[in-house]
Amino acid sequence: MWWWLLPPAAVAAGAAWWAAKRTDSTANARRRPVAHADRLTLLQEYQAALRRHRRWLAAALLACAALLASTAVAAARPVGVTTTRPEQHNRDIMLCLDTSGSMSSADAAVVDVFAELAAEFDGERIGLTIFDSAAIQVFPLTDDYHYAREQLKQARDAFDGKPGSSGFLDGTWSGRGSSLIGDGLASCLNSFPRAAGQAGNRNPGGTQDPAATQDSAQPPRSRSVILATDNFLSGEPIMTLDEAAALARERAVHVYALNPGDLDYGAGPDQPGAQLRAAAESTGGAYYALDSPEAVPGVVRGVEETEKTALSGAPRAVVSDEPGLPLAAALLSGLVLAVAGWRLRP
Amino acid sequence: MTSLLQRVKSDMAIFAHRKARGMLDGEYGSVFRGRSLDFDDLRAYIPGDEVRDIDWKASARHGSPLIRRYVAVRRQTVLLVTDTGRNMAAAARSGETKKDIAVMALGVMGYLAHRHGDVVGLVSGDSGGTTALPAKGGEAHLERLLRRVDSAATLNAAPSRIEDQLEHVARTIKGRNLLFVVADEVAASPATSQLLRRLQAQHEILWLTVRDAGLVPDAPLLPPDQVPDSYSVSGSYPLLAHLGRDPAVASAYATAVADRDAGRKAMLRQAGITEGEVAGSRDVVTALFALLERHRRAG
Repeated sequence: MWWWLLPPAAVAAGAAWWAAKRTDSTANARRRPVAHADRLTLLQEYQAALRRHRRWLAAALLACAALLASTAVAAARPVGVTTTRPEQHNRDIMLCLDTSGSMSSADAAVVDVFAELAAEFDGERIGLTIFDSAAIQVFPLTDDYHYAREQLKQARDAFDGKPGSSGFLDGTWSGRGSSLIGDGLASCLNSFPRAAGQAGNRNPGGTQDPAATQDSAQPPRSRSVILATDNFLSGEPIMTLDEAAALARERAVHVYALNPGDLDYGAGPDQPGAQLRAAAESTGGAYYALDSPEAVPGVVRGVEETEKTALSGAPRAVVSDEPGLPLAAALLSGLVLAVAGWRLRP
Repeated sequence: MTSLLQRVKSDMAIFAHRKARGMLDGEYGSVFRGRSLDFDDLRAYIPGDEVRDIDWKASARHGSPLIRRYVAVRRQTVLLVTDTGRNMAAAARSGETKKDIAVMALGVMGYLAHRHGDVVGLVSGDSGGTTALPAKGGEAHLERLLRRVDSAATLNAAPSRIEDQLEHVARTIKGRNLLFVVADEVAASPATSQLLRRLQAQHEILWLTVRDAGLVPDAPLLPPDQVPDSYSVSGSYPLLAHLGRDPAVASAYATAVADRDAGRKAMLRQAGITEGEVAGSRDVVTALFALLERHRRAG
């Protein structure tokens, strides 16, 4: 940062050295002249003491030089440049939960899986929509994970039947029929921001990244829906699952289906599980049984893969002060100087 | 500039008051017998006079000892030999400059010789060269000799080498003279020893050693500001006095100095030269008196 400090420090050290060498000629004025100095200087003991003295002088000199160098370097504010990828707030994940009667036994487990998924993701916005005959947005897309965890905990309490939590599912039965999966999925798709141009406006992290604001107004955000349903339809939905899946394809939303039941009779394509699988895979997503051990890692992997394509932020250099090493060296040389000064005291 | 000889005289006067008037003259006269058998007069005995000079008959008549004085027919030559090299500008044991002590000692001896009627010459110099001033009488001449020593011995002079002056004496001075050598703590060496024996065969030598400054503080626990750092006049490199606080260094130094002194004393004794030591200008007269006394006993 302030590298111009180093040449002045070097000049100061040079001047000090020059002055130290120069005063030698007048130093004898304070000393008394003596003859036959070899009475003392030829003694082995004196020479040994002189060598010790010189070694300590050299140590003190080195410590002085090291102290000057390290403090000058510290004053010059060394910086470390680390390359970090820009903040990745460019994934939106909507958790979409079927709360129909057929799902009531599995909803608590689904919420656990959602909580698990929410813990796995980092830097994404997640939202939760529940649906039966009508869809309710519990919370919109947010990166406030604390709030999301709180809401998921409330959902968990509601599905466990804790007293005082019954109002959680209010409003999901107002439609005709029950378990209208296609409508639920379409509602989830609608809870994403309409246009990509509006989606990132509220993201303050994006404005810090000059590359992102320059080449496109908004980085494209990948969108995923994690749909937990058993696909047992009862009633007339406005949109079928296939139509909703088509809408998802159109809007480039990946649908990951979690099926708690997975109770298909045979392998026919008209079975609910198979239809769900077909709908999910047609959007580029995947289908998992809820109790499958691959469910959570599979969904996370899938979402993160979509993220890769969406990531357009260039690597950014982060510049930070790193005074630790020179200051530690200065402290060490200061200690050495103190010890040498104590040894050299007359 | 006050006369150097004046200072010598005043010092001697102080000494004379303390001891007895004329005592130094008595010592000098006893040492350097340069008299004839021509009786001059009688004077009162003063301690230091030869007992065999006492005129017993006259003393018996007079009631107190009287000394016979003779007319000196042969003028003795007293040759002052000293070092005016750089070493003499260094500090002495007392902290004074060694040169000042040397000038004082030379002055006392020269003045004694002058009062006795002897002529005084000077051989002085350093390793760069030796100058000799011929022996003459008179206070002015003596003053000139002392000035020569005083002005020559500076820190800018050439390094000291008293052997050169002694060799010059051995080479150029004829006849038997009284040599009064003022030097510092020279180291004993076989060559010097041989030279001194050679000189002693021809001359009568008195040797006064001016003690050099101690290089190690005498009391190891003296505060630092009372132990001045020193530098060597031969190389102008510094000597760190505080290194001498190390007991090992201090004891080694004491041993080395004792060895050196013993070696010098042995060398002078073997050559048959009487040696005296002086540490400061205050005790020059005392030291000279003791030296003359010892020489009289020995000789």
